[in-house]
Amino acid sequence: MALRARRVAVTGLGMVTCLGRNAEETFSRACRGESGIDFIRSFDTSGLPCRIGGEVDDAWLENADLSRLGKLAKFAGRGVKMLVLAAEEAAGQARLDGIARRDRVGVALGSHGENPSVDEMRFVLSFYRGDGTWDLERLTKAGGYPYSIFFRRKPDIALAVVAARFDCRGPTSSIASACAASAQAIGEAYRYIREGKAEAMIAGGCEAALNYAGFAGFVLIKALAERYPSPQQASRPFDRKRSGFVMSEGAAALVLEELEHARARGAPLLGEVLGYGDSADAYRITDTHPQGEGAFLAMKAALEDAGLRPEDVGYINAHGTSTTQNDAVETRAIKRLFGERARSIPVSSNKSMLGHAIGAAGAIEAGLTLMGMRRSVILPTINYEFPDPKCDLDYVPNTARRLDHAIALSNSFGFGGQNACLCLGRTAD
Amino acid sequence: MTRPRPITEEKVLETVRQNIADALRVPVEKIAPETSLVQDLGAESLDFLDINYRMEQSFGIRTARHFVIEHIEELFGEGAAVDESGRLTEKGAEVLRLRLGDHAELKAGMALEDVPALVTVGAVASAIRDILDTLPEACPQCGKSEWISQDGTHVRCGACAAPAPYATGDDLVRDWLRRVQDEKKIF
Repeated sequence: MALRARRVAVTGLGMVTCLGRNAEETFSRACRGESGIDFIRSFDTSGLPCRIGGEVDDAWLENADLSRLGKLAKFAGRGVKMLVLAAEEAAGQARLDGIARRDRVGVALGSHGENPSVDEMRFVLSFYRGDGTWDLERLTKAGGYPYSIFFRRKPDIALAVVAARFDCRGPTSSIASACAASAQAIGEAYRYIREGKAEAMIAGGCEAALNYAGFAGFVLIKALAERYPSPQQASRPFDRKRSGFVMSEGAAALVLEELEHARARGAPLLGEVLGYGDSADAYRITDTHPQGEGAFLAMKAALEDAGLRPEDVGYINAHGTSTTQNDAVETRAIKRLFGERARSIPVSSNKSMLGHAIGAAGAIEAGLTLMGMRRSVILPTINYEFPDPKCDLDYVPNTARRLDHAIALSNSFGFGGQNACLCLGRTAD
Repeated sequence: MTRPRPITEEKVLETVRQNIADALRVPVEKIAPETSLVQDLGAESLDFLDINYRMEQSFGIRTARHFVIEHIEELFGEGAAVDESGRLTEKGAEVLRLRLGDHAELKAGMALEDVPALVTVGAVASAIRDILDTLPEACPQCGKSEWISQDGTHVRCGACAAPAPYATGDDLVRDWLRRVQDEKKIF
C-alpha cells in the first residue's frame, strides 16, 4: 500500500495591505466592497499617465512595534517590515514558537528586494566621474555607501530576516517570479511539508514598489490603468472598460503545518493546502499565451495534485488583474478546464479592491480565500458595470455573496509566463 | 509649399528597417515595406514599444503613445471605433482603411486584438515620415531657414543649433482624424 501523503494545514494567517493592517481588517473591508486605491502620495507622479496605487498607510508602519527585529531592522526595507508584521500575526496565531524542533520549521517567500530610492541613486552617482571611475575619497568623506542599502536590495533578504526573527532553521526557498512569487512560495512550502522535509513553514511574500524606480517601468510598458473616473474605480477586472492594472503594496504570510503535527499540539486549523500546480507559458514576456495554455496547465495540475475533479471546485479566486489581456485569457482557460460548468462557478478578483501587490498578491489572495471559506463568504469583484462578451463567467459583481464552499482555486500568473495555482480547502477543527 | 527635407527618403526607410531589424533580431533583408510586423516577423506588444523607442532615439522625435483607435474613441466618443464586444465598428474600419491601407480582413466585426497584425513596415515608415514632415520652414528660435543634419537622421538649426521642433505623433494622429472627419463626416 502506498503511503498516504502527508496533509498540509494552515495554522496561522497574517497580512498588511492597503485595506488593512491585519488579515481581519483587510477581509472585513473587502467584504464591504471597499477600495484601497487612491492617488499616490509617496512620490511625485505629476506628468505620468497613471497616478494611482494602493498604498499601505505609513502611520500603520510607524506605529507598529518592530522592536523584536532588533538589529535586523536596518536590513528590512518597507516591504520586509510589512512582511515581518504579517508573519508576526500568522506565527502568533499558530503559536509557532511552541514548536521545539526549530530545524523542522522552514521559510519560503516570494520577494524581489527593495528598489533604490531616487535619493540613494543621486547620492551614489554624485561620486561618479562619468568616465568609469569613482571619487572614492570624497565618497568616504561623505560617510560612504550605506551597506544596509546593498542588503535591502537583495531579493533573498526577506528570507534571511524572517528566518532569523522567527528562529526557523529548516529548509528555505526564496522565490522571485513577479506576480506569481508568493503563491509559488506557498506551493513550495506545501511541497516541503508533504515530502517530509519540514513540519511547519512560514510562507508568503511582500512587495513595496510604489516608488519611482518600481513604478516607472510599469508605466513605460503601458501595463497600468490610464483611464479611470476615480482612483477607486480604476481596477475593474473582467469589466469591459478595464484599461490596465493598479499597482499596490503589501505583504502576507501563512503558517503551513503538517496536519497531524498541528492537531497534536492543538494549533488552530484555518484551512488546508490540497494541491499546487505551476507551469510556464514559455511564450513571451508580457503577452500571455492567447489560449491561456499556461494558466490551464497550472489549474489542471493543482487539481490533479489534490486528487480532485473540476466538479469539486466551489470557487475560483482569479488572478484577475484588470488588464485587457489577462482577464479574457484567464476566462478562456477556466472555460477550457471546467467546460459547461464554468459559468456556474463563482470567480472573483480581490484586485478590484486591493489593486495588484505583485509579489505579495498570491499570498494575500490565498489568505482571503481561506478566510472566505471558513465564513462561507465569497468576496466580490467591485467596479463591475459593463459586461465584456469575452468575459462571460459569474464574477460575483460588486457585493459579497454568502455561499457555503469547501474547495477553492487561487490563481497567480506572472509577467514572463510563470503560472501558479493553489488548491485550498476548508478544514474542520 | 514643399517642406524642408534635411533627411533623405532613403535614409528614413533605411533607419526604419534597421531599427525594426534590431528590435526583432531579424535580418534587415527580410524587411520590406509590405512586411507585417506581427505575421511575418513575430512582433509582440512589447516589441512595438521597443520599435517606437528606437525611432525616437534615431530621429529625435516623439512617436504616438496611443493607437489611432484610442484617439477615435477619445475624439468622437466611446463606441465610435469599437463596439461593446471589442470588435471594430463600420466607422472604425473605414478610418483604419485610410490609415493602414486596404486589407481584406479590415472590416466591421474584426476583433480589436487582430488589428496589430495589419501594421506593416510601410505604415510605420509613413507615420515616421509624417512626423518628420512637420519640420517648419524656419527655425522658431532664430527665424533662419538652415536646417542641417550631420548624422543623416537628427536635425538641428544650422544657425542657432536648436533641435528640430517636430509635432508629436499623438498630435498628428489627432489632427489627421479631425481632417478626415471634416472631409468625410464619418462620425
